[in-house]
Amino acid sequence: MMKLFIGITFSLIMLLFTGCRTDYDISEVAPQDFLDSESHADHDHAPGEACTHEEVLLDEHVEDPHAGHDHAPGEPCNNEESIGEHVEDSHAGHNHAAGTRNHGTQWFFNQPWAAPFIWGKLFRDGAIFLTLGIVIFIITGRRRRK
Amino acid sequence: MKAVFIFALMTLRMLFRRRTLWGILLVILLALGAISSVPNFDVSNQGRFILDFGLFGIEIGALLLALGLAANLYPRDRETRTLMPLIAVPLSRWQYLLGRFFGAALVQAAALLVTCLGLMLILLFHGLSIPNDLLPATLLIIVEGWFLLSTVFFFSFFTSPPLNWPLTTMLFVLSQMSVAEFVNVLPSAPGLMRAVRMILPHADVFHIKDPIAHGFEIEPVYFLIAIFYGLCYSIFMLSLALAVFRGRDLK
Repeated sequence: MMKLFIGITFSLIMLLFTGCRTDYDISEVAPQDFLDSESHADHDHAPGEACTHEEVLLDEHVEDPHAGHDHAPGEPCNNEESIGEHVEDSHAGHNHAAGTRNHGTQWFFNQPWAAPFIWGKLFRDGAIFLTLGIVIFIITGRRRRK
Repeated sequence: MKAVFIFALMTLRMLFRRRTLWGILLVILLALGAISSVPNFDVSNQGRFILDFGLFGIEIGALLLALGLAANLYPRDRETRTLMPLIAVPLSRWQYLLGRFFGAALVQAAALLVTCLGLMLILLFHGLSIPNDLLPATLLIIVEGWFLLSTVFFFSFFTSPPLNWPLTTMLFVLSQMSVAEFVNVLPSAPGLMRAVRMILPHADVFHIKDPIAHGFEIEPVYFLIAIFYGLCYSIFMLSLALAVFRGRDLK
């Protein structure tokens, strides 16, 4: 009976650990610096504002495709071409070091092997499942003996 | 534990005699060979493609092996009536379950290591280097395979083998989903879906094919935590299977 009590108490304490949620994705529980790392080299955000780095880099060029060139009055602007130029250039001004976050690579870095802050939660989950397994083993064994 | 060990060896010998094991192994190796023979059309980093798809093939192989090896064990023992004398005297029910599990787990691990060797040979044949983390990655897939094996045992105690295959495969697919994806299956009940997802394992813990294919180093402590997580979940599934098995009336 005492083992059972200890097992259940241990599981409950583990479940009440700080930062515990019913369940989680890495992107939900990641600290801001993990999500932001190495992608803010050339622009800033207000506190709490989500980063849309790709959007910033593309849109600031696309929205004003005439910024870098002039037209004579009445001359048609080859708009698509100029947009293409600017989109292509949007990645030209900065480099990402190998192994750091880059445009559209969130899926790659939001995996458990790349997120050390999740490892403690994994360990805790493992301990909870182990305890539950032992508790189930003991309970079903006792019921059978009765 | 001596009884469990002896029974596990008996199970191991029995499984090696079955054609199912060799058939599945052949299919996995042929699939790996087929992956490597896809022309690269001068695209660079063909090794990345072979590694990525090769490890994915080994993972699917782990699922097939778990189902092929274990889905029939308990139903066949019951059908041939070898189960009754076994648990009447020499073995208790948990010893029977553990013996069968360890035997099947050893055979599955050996088969997956053979597929890993096959993948290494394919890489060498193409003049590509073998990543340092390929063997640890296979070890994680083996642990995932043991989790699947314990799931197959769990289902085998109350379903027939033809039903065991889709149920285990469904659990395999669901455990690959992120919480957000899982909640989207039934968006009207997010709380319920989150609670259900909590019981399912995070199979992405065992996947390190992406960093290996892209040449990333993984910290050794991660392997230990992932293996611990996988083993704990397997123990949990085995205890659930035992709870079902203990409640079964075998008459």
